Amino acid sequence: MQVKTMNLLCHSRKVLSSVLRTSVFLKRTEAFGSICSISKARCISLSVPQHFTANLTSCQNSHHTASFTGHFDIKRCYSESEESRNSESNGVIEDDSHELDDNSSENSSLSRRSLETFGLDVLVSLLRQENAVDLCVIKVPEQIKYAEYFIVVSGVSPRHLRAMALYAIKVYKFLKKDEDPNVKIEGKDAEDWMCIDFGNMVVHFMLPETREVYELEKLWTLRSYDEQLKSIPTETLPEDFIFDVEVTK
Amino acid sequence: MALPWLSRSLSGLLMETASLNCQRNFSVSAVAAAIQKMTRVRVVDNSSLGNTPYHRPPRVIHVYTKNGVGKVGDRVLLAIKGQKKKALIVGHKMPGDRMAPRFDSNNVVLIEDNGNPTGTRIKVPVPTHLRKLEGDYSKVLAIANSFV
Repeated sequence: MQVKTMNLLCHSRKVLSSVLRTSVFLKRTEAFGSICSISKARCISLSVPQHFTANLTSCQNSHHTASFTGHFDIKRCYSESEESRNSESNGVIEDDSHELDDNSSENSSLSRRSLETFGLDVLVSLLRQENAVDLCVIKVPEQIKYAEYFIVVSGVSPRHLRAMALYAIKVYKFLKKDEDPNVKIEGKDAEDWMCIDFGNMVVHFMLPETREVYELEKLWTLRSYDEQLKSIPTETLPEDFIFDVEVTK
Repeated sequence: MALPWLSRSLSGLLMETASLNCQRNFSVSAVAAAIQKMTRVRVVDNSSLGNTPYHRPPRVIHVYTKNGVGKVGDRVLLAIKGQKKKALIVGHKMPGDRMAPRFDSNNVVLIEDNGNPTGTRIKVPVPTHLRKLEGDYSKVLAIANSFV
């Protein structure tokens, strides 16, 4: 019963996150505001299933753009999850279930491993499971050939950040196929900022103070209109500058 | 030792003859090597240490590689404003890989000892092949504005 409700929560959040992602395409600045508001409301741990109805309603109230569609999607997801609980690994339930059903049979775990890939949904759900504070997922536009998704997460303490990063690596290693490259944690000795680069996604684990200093979300949503960029004085050449061959000794 | 003088005068001669016959312009550039000790570098992030004017340009005093030559992605130790600071090379004048960008100045980003960048934004284009190199470059790529 507890597992089922937790699964429902996962599904609802997955749906809401996918709805959020579509809103990022529409309007950048508006999406930035909506992402932040949702992320602040999202600091609810998964292990509180008794209040899940209250949580759902509060979530719907806070998410102003697509509250009605979200509600209906949740209902549909619940019915889907009911049917597919009985059947074994289905393509529909991709990823959240593997974290909850630890005592599943070996056959199902092996087949699930081949079906699920470590995508954005897996990462976001595991970060939420780890009580990540202020999760922010930004879809990077196609022109910037860096990654597809840029994720910034805050943590409570350096130990929390390290635990989240290590857990993400553990899940990635479990889910990856043999041809996927290994991923390492960058900035392991820096206790306030750690990064992991999974090919198409980049995750940054920072402390809230560090996050305030760098303001990565602002930079990656408003690319050239960022305030800190604008405040850098433009470099001008001095008047007596001559681009000439530098004769060394 | 006479070679650079000779080459300069020769290029000057050539330019004059070119202007006489047909208006063709040459681009003249000096021999460029990668970054080593005592090279003057350009700090490209928006840190206060890198941007406040000082009577001496920042120089490299040590390159953290096996040979003393620094390419893109190598850490170096700089002497800036009378203090030592670690930095990361993000571009040099020396031509490297065929499809890798070459910059007109030796660019460097200041870094703390734990790898965190000192500045918060980088306006200058940063090469994207930093991502494939072995090392902790995601932080520098995260604060960069434009990629090359």
